[in-house]
Amino acid sequence: MSAPPDGREVLAARDIAVERRSRHGRFRLEVEELALRRGEVLAVLGPNGAGKSTLLRTLAGLETPEVGRVVRGAGVVATLVFQRPAAFAGSVLHNAGAALLGGGHARAEVRRRALAALRSFGIEHLAERRAATLSGGELRRLALARAMALAPTALLLDEPYDDLDVAGQAALTRDLRRAIAETGVAVAVVTHDLRRALLLADRIAVLCDGRLQQQGPRAEVLACPAGPRVARLVGMDNLARAVALPDGWAEVDASHRTPLASAPPAGARGWIGIRPEHLKLDVGRGAGESIGKGRVESLVDDGFTTHVEVSWAGLSLRTHLLSGRGLARSLAVGDPVSLSVRPECVHWMPEDSE
Amino acid sequence: MTGLGQGELLEITLRTLSVCGSALAIALALGLPIGIALGRRRFPGRSALVTLVNSGMGAPPVVVGLAVALLLWRSGPLGGLGWMYTPTAMVAAQVLIALPLVVGITLAAVGGLADDWELQVRTLGVPAPWRLWLLLREIRLGLLAAVIAALGGILSEVGAVMQVGGNLAGETRVLTTAILMYTQMGAFEEALGLAAVLLGLFLVLAGLLTAVQQSGRG
Repeated sequence: MSAPPDGREVLAARDIAVERRSRHGRFRLEVEELALRRGEVLAVLGPNGAGKSTLLRTLAGLETPEVGRVVRGAGVVATLVFQRPAAFAGSVLHNAGAALLGGGHARAEVRRRALAALRSFGIEHLAERRAATLSGGELRRLALARAMALAPTALLLDEPYDDLDVAGQAALTRDLRRAIAETGVAVAVVTHDLRRALLLADRIAVLCDGRLQQQGPRAEVLACPAGPRVARLVGMDNLARAVALPDGWAEVDASHRTPLASAPPAGARGWIGIRPEHLKLDVGRGAGESIGKGRVESLVDDGFTTHVEVSWAGLSLRTHLLSGRGLARSLAVGDPVSLSVRPECVHWMPEDSE
Repeated sequence: MTGLGQGELLEITLRTLSVCGSALAIALALGLPIGIALGRRRFPGRSALVTLVNSGMGAPPVVVGLAVALLLWRSGPLGGLGWMYTPTAMVAAQVLIALPLVVGITLAAVGGLADDWELQVRTLGVPAPWRLWLLLREIRLGLLAAVIAALGGILSEVGAVMQVGGNLAGETRVLTTAILMYTQMGAFEEALGLAAVLLGLFLVLAGLLTAVQQSGRG
């Protein structure tokens, strides 16, 4: 049973406003338009306190917006898997089928669906274990199985990779991808971590201070963030104020210029953004344009990647090298380096986008 | 036991079970919903109610007995009911003793669940009666602790039932009041026999409840 994405909208927030009061004060979430589509994963990215969980709860129908509405397609079942899933008393199998039993399904049917859901998340062998004895990762898988046993049309995931190591994240991603492909469920996943968002996302929505800043296909949001704030959240770490020049370049200061992907009006003020992976060290490699020289400020090697910070135009630019290979082996803090970037990798953001 | 026949012993024991069982059932029927509501909901005045419950858990039974006696006394506000010196008055007093224990322990058990527990169940589309069943399963260890505490409190209580029941032979005499009476009379053999029955009763009931509690752990 394979259900590829067909773009059909199953759940959407339309002009909603949700207000919450807590001991920290008042918080208001406002979203004009956000839709989940069949077979598609929307990652909602934002810093802590941006309103991501409130948005998920509103989409799940657990919070009622003061203004606007959440539109559900006919027969849509939306379920939310919380950041800290609860283990109900009893066995793993009981947990997986608890909601179905309450819904009046026959016991044999409940058992069949619960076991199938456990199998799809690789924990069928734990069916008879007490849920309270599961590890954090197993409990997360149980929560996903419990939700998928309901055959939902929309699956809402709040920080699904919390407490999982890299291997656990990869395994869960594989299982989730398979489940999405098999069922066509529309998925929204909220996280503050870009890397985790990218494990699943087809589309990305960026939320800050309760407002949706940008949404679109992942490649578009990653390459063309709407402003410097979104840029920082989607990993476009190298940001500088600049003035557009008539020759298709931008001037950061009197002695530092970069090429541009777009052609803003000459004299326009704004921001340039370069993703770390697009900034190359040492002129002559690839088809990049030289943007001048810098000096290595720091080198951090995590065993896979060497993270390099280079001083340039009074800024610290970041880039990555493959650990233990080429430049990464010979580079030292204080070394002068040449920097280059391809024009199509320098994103221009107008000043008022901040 | 010269002054206490087997028939009377059986009658006292059955009355004890009847009075305590009724009081426990009523306390559970009232206390569980109140404890769950206090544990899950936030509303103005909740703190005052929780303080009242906590205070009630340690209220001296004789004070409770006095309050019930003042209410049920012939000239009291509920004197017209004619409950004074009847098993009904004893049940009423024991309900007031057991209720704070049931509410307080249920409240603590419910309060121990994650703040979003109910939302997690709701998002699975579980209907309300099944949500309640899941909640009771979740807090069942706490509930059994509440039952054991309440049962222990009322089964061993003597002051209040003496005050409102009067220890009338064949009518309101229960194990605790009979033990007190025989001790005051110096009939220690009868008092010891009754004490053994009371103790055995509690041990059997507490043992059964503990077995249930332990079998369902986790």
